[in-house]
Amino acid sequence: MAQPIIEFKNVAKQYDDNIVLKSVDLEIEAGKFYTLLGPSGSGKTTILRLIAGFLEATSGDILFEGQRINDLPPEKRRVNTVFQNYALFPNMNVFDNVAFGMSIKGKKKSDIKAKVAEMLTLVKLKGYEDREISELSGGQQQRVAIARALANDPEVLLLDEPLSALDYKLRKDMQYELREIQKRLGITFIFVTHDQEEALAMSDWIFVTNEGEIVQNGTPVDIYDAPINHFVADFIGESNILSGVMRQDYLVSFAGKEFENVDGGMRPNEPVEVVLRPEDLDLVSVDDGKLVVTIDYQSFRGDYYEITAHDDDQNYWKIQATNPAVTGERRGLFFDPEDIHIMRLDESEEDFDARMEEYEDSEEDVQHES
Amino acid sequence: MANKSKKWSNIYLIFVFILMYAPIFYLIFYSFNKGDFMADFSGFSWRHYIDMFADTRLMQILVNTFIVALLSALIATLIGLFGALGIYNTKQNNTKNILLSLNNILMVSPDVIIGASFLIFFTMVGLKLGFGSVVLAHIAFSIPIVVLMVLPKLNEMNPALVDAARDLGANNYQVLSRVILPYAWPGILSGFFMAITYSLDDFAVTFFVTGNGFSTLSVEIYSRARQGIDLSINALSALMFLLSLILVIIYYFISNYSSKGSKKKRGARMVVHQ
Repeated sequence: MAQPIIEFKNVAKQYDDNIVLKSVDLEIEAGKFYTLLGPSGSGKTTILRLIAGFLEATSGDILFEGQRINDLPPEKRRVNTVFQNYALFPNMNVFDNVAFGMSIKGKKKSDIKAKVAEMLTLVKLKGYEDREISELSGGQQQRVAIARALANDPEVLLLDEPLSALDYKLRKDMQYELREIQKRLGITFIFVTHDQEEALAMSDWIFVTNEGEIVQNGTPVDIYDAPINHFVADFIGESNILSGVMRQDYLVSFAGKEFENVDGGMRPNEPVEVVLRPEDLDLVSVDDGKLVVTIDYQSFRGDYYEITAHDDDQNYWKIQATNPAVTGERRGLFFDPEDIHIMRLDESEEDFDARMEEYEDSEEDVQHES
Repeated sequence: MANKSKKWSNIYLIFVFILMYAPIFYLIFYSFNKGDFMADFSGFSWRHYIDMFADTRLMQILVNTFIVALLSALIATLIGLFGALGIYNTKQNNTKNILLSLNNILMVSPDVIIGASFLIFFTMVGLKLGFGSVVLAHIAFSIPIVVLMVLPKLNEMNPALVDAARDLGANNYQVLSRVILPYAWPGILSGFFMAITYSLDDFAVTFFVTGNGFSTLSVEIYSRARQGIDLSINALSALMFLLSLILVIIYYFISNYSSKGSKKKRGARMVVHQ
């Protein structure tokens, strides 16, 4: 494997008695789009600021291309940041903002001019050089901030919740564009967000953070389909989480019944948590269902109905359906064996990954059979 | 009902302004009197103005006063600016509050006390009273004002701007000169003008530290007034009022320049685009 461009080794950060980051290890490979995803206060911005150099780690090593950079000031690091509220210089116009880094380095005027034009074209703000920052909309300011950071040819671009101040539609567009820019330039992006949808849509690789730790990392599909614990399952996407018991490999019991599934590697009769995604659940006739539920409530969400129901064991179920249901009606609930995801209680990420690896092949076998 | 209360508030406002400005206009009005006293206006004349300009000692003092004001304001702005930056950059909240309080104590303590302590200090150090001692004293009491004008501007600044500048490769000096100073510029400017104003109209402190040969306007007017007011003082007051007015207007235009400048430019561009 190639040398990671950024590496954290047991990095911790604390203020007085307040621990914001507990011994974090991570590796960032060049040229990929990474996302640090977590609720506010989970330490994701702390990680970003440690990479940028605005914070000093209390302990541990931060490596950049194998060199320890803990003591390197931010102006000497080959990373640039797009800040949450853009942090554009209000006393300068668009050109001077984008040119700031280059003029600090004393580049030639003609080079600066060409580079600014190139960057503004990249972010679709061609011809905006003379505008004042106060004249721009939020979305345009966002683009200037991206252009300003990219104009320094960073190896790594850090983005600190850059889209959180934009409206929904604009946010969607910018997600797509950021991804495009990253692919075109081929540099590493590290994106911080608390929006799981954003993370899933944009990233090659996601680090999920909670309470100062990285709880899981993987591709968006891995994390969505196989969350490691209750927190990840709950935080990423909607989910039904039930407690159950793993009878034996490929057989789990929950909601008063036993179901065939695709997970294994646990002790017989081990208590576990079971995750079922609302979109994997289908409402069918009572006879065809694996479970029988009573519809409690439904709300229209535009592209689907979100239905709440309870089964005979008084477990509540969230179901996403394209067709409306009738409140109070009894319906069957159907799901496939591979829709059932099992989470062991307090499993470490290493053990989890190893178990996933081991049962990946057999999982495919089962899928073929069904 | 609302209209009526609005009318009353207007009347009140007018009353307040009359109260504030009446003495000044009274003084200015009699500066044009042909007679020698501030009673029975006997006709218009410039003669007190001519007297005033002919009084070389008074003119010398007027020039001195302005030199002291400009010089002390300039130095105080420089020192106060770095003081404000120092307080702004203090991480510890307690230390920050102590520094700020120490600054504010100088603002509220009576001029007489400050003046007396300067007098004692200067004589103890062996500094000759005169121009130097007055400028030093004025710098000293102007610094807290500058700090108070600059600090809110710094606090209002998004701290991410400093991070952004460093992120883009700026060292400490470049962060200061390219980001912080331009941002705090209106505050620095108001600090400078406030310092000039404080220096121009200070009497108590100056009175203690002028010594023999040197004098400023407020001290001179005081000493002359003790022998009975000469109407050329009225003429001087009128002149000073006019100068202050000009200062205020200059300040108004400078402080509006940065915010309105961009709008004007935009207006011009929009015309071009049409």
